Amino acid sequence: MGTVRARPASRDEGARLGFRLTLPAQVLVLFISAFPLLMQLYISVTDWSPLSGLGWWNAWSLWNSFANYTDLAADARFWSALKRTAIVMIVCVPAEFLLGLALATLFADDFPGKRIFYSILLMPMMVVPAVAGYMFFMLFQSGGPVNDILSSLTGSPVTIAWLSDPTLALIAVMVADIWQWTPLMFLILLAGLVGVPEDQIKAATLLGANPWQRFVTIVLPKMKTIIIIALAIRVIENFKIFDTLYIMTGGGPGVATETISVYIYKVTTQDLIWGYVAAIALAILIVLSIVAVFAMKRMARAGQVPA
Amino acid sequence: MSAIHLQNLVKKFGDFTALKTMDLAIADGEFMALLGPSGCGKSTTMNMIAGMEEPTGGRILFGERNMAGVPMGRRGVGFVFQNYAIFTHMTVRQNLAYGPRMRGAAKAEIDRRVGAIAEMLQLTPLLDRKADRLSVNILQRVAIGRSAIMEPAIFLLDEPLSNVDAAFRAVMRTELKQLQRQFRQTMVYVTHDQLEAMTMADRIAVMDHGVLQQVGTPLEVYNDPANVFVARFIGAPGMNLLKGRPAESDRGLVVDLGPLGVTPPLPGELAAALRGARGDVLYGFRPEQASLVQDGQGLAMQVSFVERIGARTIVHLGQGEAAVKTVFDNDVGLAIGDIAVVAPAAPSVRIFDAATGLAIKAEV
Repeated sequence: MGTVRARPASRDEGARLGFRLTLPAQVLVLFISAFPLLMQLYISVTDWSPLSGLGWWNAWSLWNSFANYTDLAADARFWSALKRTAIVMIVCVPAEFLLGLALATLFADDFPGKRIFYSILLMPMMVVPAVAGYMFFMLFQSGGPVNDILSSLTGSPVTIAWLSDPTLALIAVMVADIWQWTPLMFLILLAGLVGVPEDQIKAATLLGANPWQRFVTIVLPKMKTIIIIALAIRVIENFKIFDTLYIMTGGGPGVATETISVYIYKVTTQDLIWGYVAAIALAILIVLSIVAVFAMKRMARAGQVPA
Repeated sequence: MSAIHLQNLVKKFGDFTALKTMDLAIADGEFMALLGPSGCGKSTTMNMIAGMEEPTGGRILFGERNMAGVPMGRRGVGFVFQNYAIFTHMTVRQNLAYGPRMRGAAKAEIDRRVGAIAEMLQLTPLLDRKADRLSVNILQRVAIGRSAIMEPAIFLLDEPLSNVDAAFRAVMRTELKQLQRQFRQTMVYVTHDQLEAMTMADRIAVMDHGVLQQVGTPLEVYNDPANVFVARFIGAPGMNLLKGRPAESDRGLVVDLGPLGVTPPLPGELAAALRGARGDVLYGFRPEQASLVQDGQGLAMQVSFVERIGARTIVHLGQGEAAVKTVFDNDVGLAIGDIAVVAPAAPSVRIFDAATGLAIKAEV
């Protein structure tokens, strides 16, 4: 803009022009994100179900005030699914992070066969989760390879019914998740690790820092942003854990491995009370949004310190 | 403080030899510049002194102590990196305190030492600033302070001024030299910029293709280059070298430059040294040490180009093999196409063996 004008005025002008230019895109985004959200909110305060014979827009006639939300607060199955999801997350995400970080540290240096190992290591991530689920379903059969290996290690036949025992089934599901998603952690963290300036590490070495001190004082702070990104991605993804788990256990035995997604799936497809489903989904969205906002804030703060 | 001895030092990377036998003694408290074009082995030498790379052969001694197998964190070496390698996620204070903190010094001790070093480097008001937004001269001081706080016997500086713009470089050079006077440490300074080496160093080690060419004070290297490489490399522009053959004349020994004619007679001692020599020689003189003389008393050459650089004027004379550059005052009245008759000041003339490239020294 070549006109000479007072700064605030031209900035106003610029803002208005920018608004007009981005308006079509804004409308589109609003339609994609705000519309379903509002629709969900609307249905969540009704008893609407696809079998009710009404279009969703007519759901107002099934208004049940906030019964879905009060039901949700008292729904023991919901809370135990939430707790189970949290347990899976608390075990899997740190395990994936630590394994990924260890592998990334290993792969930051050169060693023979690095490229081959690198490809092998990334493979689990490429496997379709449903297929991974089927693989682990087979592995953990009582006559399956996991028991075979344990048998040959202990020298006596092992016939653990992994997927029929409530605790062992949960462990099996977590093993599958860690197997599949450690590579993603590894990949992201390796990118971060390679980005740590080499000469700063050398400088620290010359100043007498041992490898552990260098890792804690230089490498980790430099990787802070990328670690937060990796953790946020995995926390959010892990919260939604479904396909692998569903194929391995179907949420069973009983409800022993029923996570939030599995629970929602069952309520949606078996109970068909969609008003209630909308309420659950909205509650979860709020929880995940809080996690995301927290992570973004930390990232913004870390971002003030460019590496 | 500590002297450094490099003995038969060799470094190979696979088939590539970065350094072919280097012998160099650096005195305690000396400021030694390793000067040479890129790929000459100067940085490799420095990295081996710091312990970042293991020599393929030879020894490095600090004082009497052999450094073989001593890891880089334990050599007592301060290192200033080309880009300073400041820990940008820390404050200036944390940067300075890093070494003592890693060695497990007590908090009060760290504070005292950081305070003292900050005072010396005038960093006190900046101690709590984040180190990611500091100007380059502050970064240099932080980098030096961070190493100096460890009281290293030896300071190594790897082209610290190469990322600095030309105007600021002069300021930084002065500052660096003053800091060295303060600390009195042995300093090894790697650079490809001869101006930095000339202005700061006590002695300069000129290197090329992994071979040490000459070691001497800045003036020794400038005045008495040991060989053709040093003669051409040092000085801006470098020494003029003209191929010719010694010849007797009625005025004494001269060099017959073929089509350019003969040079003015060589000074007595140089003539004496040259009389025994056979074969072609290179007749060398500094561009700054030639003057315009009357016809018949010097080399008559056509002006091919005139570069006015402000205080001085560089005049290019002749063509191809027989081209020379001369530096005159800025009001020199020469234009392209003129014939200039130049004569080098007799004491500044140097003669090199054309076959070996080595200087033929006057017997004194």
